[in-house]
Order: sequence, then structure tokens, then C-alpha cells
Amino acid sequence: MNAFELALPDTLAGAVSLLDPEDPTIRVMSGGTALMLMMKTDVFHPTQLISLRRIEPGYSQMGLLPDGSFRIGAMSTLSDMEHDDALAGFAPVIRQTMKLLSNVRVRNVATVGGALAHGDPHMDLPPVLVALDAQVVTISPEGERTIPVAELHAGYYETILSGNELIKEVIIPPQHARRASYLKCTTRAVKDWPALGVALTTDLDGDTARDTRLVIGAVGEKPIRVAEAEAVIDGQILSDKTIAEAADAAAESVETIEDELGSAAYKTQLVRVYVKRALQQVANQNA
Amino acid sequence: MNDQITQIRAVGQSHPRREAREKVTGRIEYIHNLRLPNMLYGKIFRSTVAHARIVSIDTSEAAACPGVDMVLTGEDIRKIMPDPHFGVMFHDQPVLALDKVRYVGEPVAIVLASDPNVAAEAVALIDVDYDELEPVFDEMEALSAETFVHDELKPGIPEIQFLKGVRDTNVGFPYQLRHGGDVDKAFEEADRVFEHTFRTHPSAHVPLEPPVTVAEPTGAGLTLHTANQSPSFVRYEISRLLGWPQHKIRVRVPYLGGGFGAKLWIRLEALVAAAALLAKRPVKVSLSMEEQFYTITKHGATLKIKSGLDKDGRITARKCEVFWNGGAYADIGPAVAFHAGMTAAGPYDIENVAIDSFSMYTNRPVAGAMRGFGHPQLIWAYENHTDMMAHELGIDPLEFRRRNILREGKEHATGTALNTSSVEKVLDRVAERLQWGKPFERGEGTVKRGRGFAIGIKASIAPSTSEAIVRLGADGSATLMCSSVDMGQGSDTAHAQIVAEVLNMPVEMVHVVHPDTDVTPYDTGTLGSRSLYHMGHAARLAAEDAKAKLEELAAEVGAQPGSNVPIWELFARKNGMPVGHVVGTASFIPDGHIPPDPMTGQSPHITPYWMLGATGAEVEIDTETGRVTVLRMINVADTGTQINPKIVDHQISGASIMQLGQTMQEKVHFDFGQVTNASFADYKIPSMLDIPQIETSVLDGAEADGPFGAKGVGETGSFCVSSAIANAVFDAVGVRVSEMPITGETVYRAMRAAAGEPLEEE
Repeated sequence: MNAFELALPDTLAGAVSLLDPEDPTIRVMSGGTALMLMMKTDVFHPTQLISLRRIEPGYSQMGLLPDGSFRIGAMSTLSDMEHDDALAGFAPVIRQTMKLLSNVRVRNVATVGGALAHGDPHMDLPPVLVALDAQVVTISPEGERTIPVAELHAGYYETILSGNELIKEVIIPPQHARRASYLKCTTRAVKDWPALGVALTTDLDGDTARDTRLVIGAVGEKPIRVAEAEAVIDGQILSDKTIAEAADAAAESVETIEDELGSAAYKTQLVRVYVKRALQQVANQNA
Repeated sequence: MNDQITQIRAVGQSHPRREAREKVTGRIEYIHNLRLPNMLYGKIFRSTVAHARIVSIDTSEAAACPGVDMVLTGEDIRKIMPDPHFGVMFHDQPVLALDKVRYVGEPVAIVLASDPNVAAEAVALIDVDYDELEPVFDEMEALSAETFVHDELKPGIPEIQFLKGVRDTNVGFPYQLRHGGDVDKAFEEADRVFEHTFRTHPSAHVPLEPPVTVAEPTGAGLTLHTANQSPSFVRYEISRLLGWPQHKIRVRVPYLGGGFGAKLWIRLEALVAAAALLAKRPVKVSLSMEEQFYTITKHGATLKIKSGLDKDGRITARKCEVFWNGGAYADIGPAVAFHAGMTAAGPYDIENVAIDSFSMYTNRPVAGAMRGFGHPQLIWAYENHTDMMAHELGIDPLEFRRRNILREGKEHATGTALNTSSVEKVLDRVAERLQWGKPFERGEGTVKRGRGFAIGIKASIAPSTSEAIVRLGADGSATLMCSSVDMGQGSDTAHAQIVAEVLNMPVEMVHVVHPDTDVTPYDTGTLGSRSLYHMGHAARLAAEDAKAKLEELAAEVGAQPGSNVPIWELFARKNGMPVGHVVGTASFIPDGHIPPDPMTGQSPHITPYWMLGATGAEVEIDTETGRVTVLRMINVADTGTQINPKIVDHQISGASIMQLGQTMQEKVHFDFGQVTNASFADYKIPSMLDIPQIETSVLDGAEADGPFGAKGVGETGSFCVSSAIANAVFDAVGVRVSEMPITGETVYRAMRAAAGEPLEEE
């Protein structure tokens, strides 16, 4: 591991000011769980790391906003999110997801901002946040902007964030009576990166589904929202037939990529099975 | 012997592991923690190509790097090791690559620096120009390839000198066995003939402590502090390479953080020894987890098996051809081909047997010994084959085995008569524990359940030697000096129990000195489940010798036989104070070994003891994804008398978990010779969540010639896991997988193919 400089700014603005969009060897570090692996395997050689550990405590806090949406500071750890009762009441699927996500040592230090900004497609949380229609608020020398998480990821380990732009918080809109589910499929060991993640939220008005958001994680270069399957579901009762058709639509439309977790054809079958199961689970949830 | 303390029996009790407290409190000695004054750290520059001639090596930039003390290449090693090729069987592996590189990851140069980070940075500045050669990766392709990993075979030990000068082949060692009559004629006369081919994949040992060695030049010679399972061999081999007398090399081994065969023979020792002598300073090399994957693997293999049966379902002929992918250097691979080859036909009573077992050279990392020594691969083949034949014949797999197993007194394919009835006993026991033949809940909907079992046999390696010294002191304690390495298997505890039993003293009063070749005598190595039998006997005999010498001392100082004069007083009468020792020694080689005939593999006495095991498995399969969940695993083992039942239980379950990982999830992936999953992030060993309910079932009864009736058990739990699970998968969903790991995709593809709707390939 080569020598590098470590900066510990006291403010988020201070951290932003240390970044240089022209120099990818200067990076911020929050939990460091992904970055340290990249450094250990010689994939990334920093000249400067900017630790966010000392920035304002507000970025590690979360809670309901007056407009009914929920704000999560970007430096909140995944464990903070797992154990926050208000968040569990607001969107129970997050706590359920955390139990499946990595391990307690990683969750204790990894942050939601890092998890989103890293752009790694093999993660559990980003598809869930897309399904919840969450947004991120970012800060850069140009000021602040709000980006739907659904639009944040541009490709394999790529986001639309510029080189001196940091996520400051995540905002999840009110979920009201929306139902949600996240199913994770691993193919090597029980505890592993997902070979597939299916995140689903929907409004079940009576038995009729509305405004469904179905998001597939881990099989492609970024979380994939499956409009073709949503179109099959919306306005329909979640019958076995509708569910099977939606699962087929998802399998047909989602492009899967082969890797050591499975072939593309097998992952397509996993998409079919897990979309079906996620829909069944949501249909069977008590409203 | 100490008349003050009431002895609880030493042997047969689950005495706590003597090092457990020190280990869990982080106090135990591992070489990874060793730092010597003035020590340099070595970092290895490795080949990035699989097969090439080295045109040039430019180390100038690395050598000029501030903080770098030395950069060494293969030519530098020649300055102190005239022929720098090592190996336990073939002298084929260069300390650092010389003319050629033969696999991706092969050490080409080493940088020495006081700061390991400086050394690592400088390694990146080395530039090697290669003239690439055609590589060969697959063991079957290696058989007919026009490219040769080695220009000429370099046999080391006397037994294989017939291979000297052999050129233009990738067959490192051909083992053959011919038993009974003309096997081809028997096939012609058979009522049915079945032939199947299986493959196994390379997996990795990945002990949590990767290989590590410190070499320390001393005034008189060289001391190696190393994590190694065979310290006596290290001393021999380093002295051979240097042309020094053996006594100038001292090898000491404290505890190992796991071995499993990864730390046998020479790993880093030759390189670190040469570096330290050239630098005239202590040198340490600690491999990273990633580097382990390039250092040693378990053999992948292709296994062809053919059986002829008569109309009663009796196997009358069997032909086995096994091709072991040994990687670029022989290491112990030829012995795997040999020892595993001899039992390739399984624990079955077959009149006509022909076995050919080849260790193949390929351009992959070296394959060496791993827990089970080739047997899990063979058993994978013959126990799948057995169930497949039973199914085709419409005979229950248990009944089919009962018709064919090798019973006590019958001749094994090696020509050695079986001295045990354990084959039928392990079979009966596993059937009983599975409640075979009784109704079984088979699942419903998209969940199907099944069960299966397998049996396996292994012969202990022979011949081999263990020496021991037991020193009995005036304070009533005993000290056992031996070169067995406690790598987590509990040998210190078991050997102390044996000494305590002979000397009738509390186990806590037996001190075990760890391998230090200046002090502890010769041992072949800690491998192949041999220590408890061989070193157990040596420790027992040395303790008996010490006891006899104490009785002589008692007579010498006038104590009546059987008197209660305490030990300290015996010594005080002799030495004026309660000080001094008597020393017992022993050297143990099992009696009666007859080397097999080189052409037929036949011997009337091929092994000191047989190891028998069986595994039963219950699985659940998600028919929509193929995912297999192992619900229950029963491991049956013939262990002889258990010296320490708790350790035996842990050895059996531990071996089965290791094999379960390789069966279900572990595989080293290669892309043109490059390992693509060289980390625990991508090479998944089992976590607690991957482990099913495990039951251990041990046969009663002593091993006739074992120390207190005991024998080795470290590998038995690994034998049958893979095939038991494959047989259970077949039972659940009616498809046969012929390759591991048994992933959901493997099973799902097989199910789709069986349904006539194969899933598309990439």
C-alpha cells in the first residue's frame, strides 16, 4: 500500500473544498468498508483521503420532517438505520433489508451515503431506496441539488455525481399505506453479495395494485426499475395469473450479466422466481 | 507414578485442549508475530504469465528505491544453492524462476527491505520481459498437448529414478494397479457394463494463517522459524540445497493457524533461507491471503470409472483412470496419484481391477496434499457411480452395496487382505442413522427433499517413521519431545494423554516440546492422519523406556521393587538434590510393510491400518432455482479407540465442514491461468449459516495394532460428504450432477436438461 495523506475536516463544506474534480486519487472516506478493500487489492491508490468522521453531527442523524418525509443524514451507518425505531415505523422494509445486508461489523461502520455514492451494483440497499422513491441531496461548490436515487447510478461503479459533489442526506417520501418487500438471493454462501435483489413497493387499494415500483438489483450494471412488469401489475388484482405474467415480463425485459455468481440465463430464471415471490409476499402482507 | 494424586484415566477422556486458553486469549506463539532485531521483510514478485521463457529481468529501478536493501532473482539464488530446485519427490521446483515461468503467480524475484511497505512498492517496479509459450491448463489436454511444462522430468527420490531423463511428456508419474485376472475379458463376460466420467475442481486450503517463514543466520548455521507441517523434512531439504550438514540447520515450529496440507514440505523455507544468507540478516516472508491461492491448491481431477456386473448385481470387473491436475510442479502430487490411486476402486470386493492414476503437469499453481489426500475426489467418482448403477439396475443402493462391499479377510484390490469388518459396519451404521428404508418426508410444491449416503476407504501411508524422546524429571513431570506439529488437530493433547497413561501421571504433568530440530527427533511429517498412530506409538514406547529407566534408577539407589519411595527422593539419593532426569527414546516404523509391485501395485501388506468412513445427507431443493440446502449430515467413522472423544468429534465434523464447503460453494476460478477469485470476498468458505445439523457416529472397537487401539481420524470426515450430497440430490429431484460445486445453477440446469428444456448456455 502506497503512502497517502489523510485529511480530517470538521465540516462537510470543508471536505468538499478539499476535493479536486480533476484528480480521482483524492477521495472521501466514510465507513471505508469498500474503499479499504479496493486499496488492499491494489485497485485504488489514493494520494489523499478525506475522512468524513469529524464533520457536523447532523449528518449522522435521521428523523421525520414536518412534511411527512423521512430524512437520513448521509453519514448515518447502516446499523443506525437498522436500529432506528422511527425509520422502522416509517419504512419497515429497511430494517428487514439490513438483517440480510453484509454483516454486523460492516453495518456498524458503512454509511448510507457511501453505499449510494460507491455505485457498486452488488448491493442490497440502493434498489430498496429506489423502490421507496428516495432522493439524495448533494452539495458541491456549485451549491445543492436533489437527485432521485433512481437516477443516481449511471453504470458499473458509476454515478452522475461530479468529482467534487458529496451526498449530504437521503430523503424518503411518505409511504402512507404502501406495502414493501425486499428479497435477496445469494448463490455461493448464505451470507454473500446478492446475485439478485428484488425490491418492491406498491399501493394496494383494496386488492388492486397502483403505482408499483419494482426494482431489480445486482444482476446488471445498476439497479433496474422494471416498467414492463409494473405495467402488468398496475390496475390489477394480484392474482396468481397477474403475478406470473409480471414475473415473466420482468424476466424478459431485465438484461442480466454473467459473472461468478451465475450465468445470465440462470439469473433471468432467478428474476422470474424472485419477482413472483416478492409479489406473493406483498399480496399476502396484512395491510 | 505420583502416589499423591488419584489418577483419572488419561486415555479415553476428553481432556481439554492444552493450548486452548492461550489461543483464545491471544497469547500463543505464531510465526506471523515474530520480529527479530535487524530483520528484513521480503515481498515476492510473481509471474503474470502462465508459461514463458524469461528473456530478461530488470530489477534496477526496484533496487534503487530508497529503503530497499536487496533484490534477488533466480540467478542470485544459485550463488548459495548450486542447483536451486526443491521438491519432496521431484527436484523440479526452482526457488525463484530460472529460465522459465510455469504458472501465473510463480515467484520470479524477491525484494528485501526493513519496511514491508517499501518492499511491496519496490516489487511493482520490477520489469520482466517474457517470450510466451503455449500454456496447458486442463489435465486431459495436458495428456495430448504438444507443449510441455517441463522439458525433462527431474525425479528426486530413489523410488522414481526410472523416470530420469524422460522427455516430452506432461505425465509426471504414472501409477498402475492390476488385480485378479484379465479385466478386459471380465468386461466381455459381464452381464452389464457401466462407464461414467466425473470431474472435480481445484479448491484452496486457505488456513487463516497464510504461510510464513523467518530465516535467521546464526554463527554456526541457519535457524528457520516457520509455519510448516514437516520440520524434519525442511531441515533435510534445506541442508541438501545448501550442501550443508543437517545439524547446521535448525527448524522450529510453534503452533500453526491451520495447515490442512498447505504447509507441507517446502513452501517459503528455501527462498527465505537463501535470502537471509545472501543478505546476512534475518528475513521474514508472510504471504497474504491472496498469495495463498497462487501457492498451493487441492487437485482437480478427471476420473473415469467403468464396472462390469454379473446378472446378480455383483461387480466382477472395474477399470479406473484418474488424471490429477498437479499444476506446474510435482510437490506431493505423485504420491497423491499413488496412494489415492491404490483405493480408486473403493471398498468393494471386485475380482478383476485395473487402475491407472496419472499425476499431470499443467500451467496452474501447484496442487499438493489436502486433507483426504485425493480420496474425496475418488470417492466422489466411485460413490456416484455406485448409486448410478444401483438405480439403473433397480436395486436399492444399500442392498447393492451389501452385495459388493469388501468384508473382513477378503483381498482388497491392492492384494492386502482386509483386517477389519469396518466396511459393513460403517455401511450399516449410516443406514441405521438415516433410517434407510423407512418412510421419509419428501416435501411438496416447489420444495423436494431427498437423502443419500456414501462409503469410503483410505489406506494409511506407508512406510513412515516417528521418533520420540520422553524425559522424566525429579519433580515427577514428563517432557515429550517430538516433531509432530499441532496445527489445530489436538496432537499435543492426545500425545500427552498417551504419555500420561503409560507413566500413570496426570495429563497436566506432561509437557510437550514443539518441533525444534535441534531438540526434537525425526518425524516424516504431520500429514495423512498418521500422527496419532505413528507418533502415538513412538511416544508410548519412549514413555515405557523412561519408565524402565526409572525402575533401574530405583534399583540403583536401593529402593525395593514396588516400594513407595517418591520420585524426587530417588533422584535425591542419586544426585544429592531432587534434580535430574531419566530419558526414554523410541523410533517407530510399523511392522511388516511390503512395498507394492511397481507393475501391478500388489502387496500382501500395504498399509498399517485402513480408515473407513461413511456420510449420510438429507437435502432440500428449491425446484424453481435448483438451490440445495443440506439439512442434516451424519458422519460415521472407524476411529479405533478414541484417545480424546471430544477432539475426535471435532476432527470428524471439522473435516466434513471443510469438504461441505468444497462440495457446495468453493472453487478456484481461473482465467487463462490467472486466479480470478483469490480472496475470501469471492472464494466462499462455509460460515455458520452454511452448516447443517451435523451428527458424528463412531464405531466401537480398537485398531488391533494401534497405540491403545487408536488410529488417525483427521481426514475420515472428508471422505464421503460430496457423494452423499450428490446421491441425496438425485434422490430428491432425479438428476445427477457430475461436477462440483453443487450450486443452485448446476442443479437447475441438470433439471431443465432432464426435462428436455435445457437452459441456454452463454
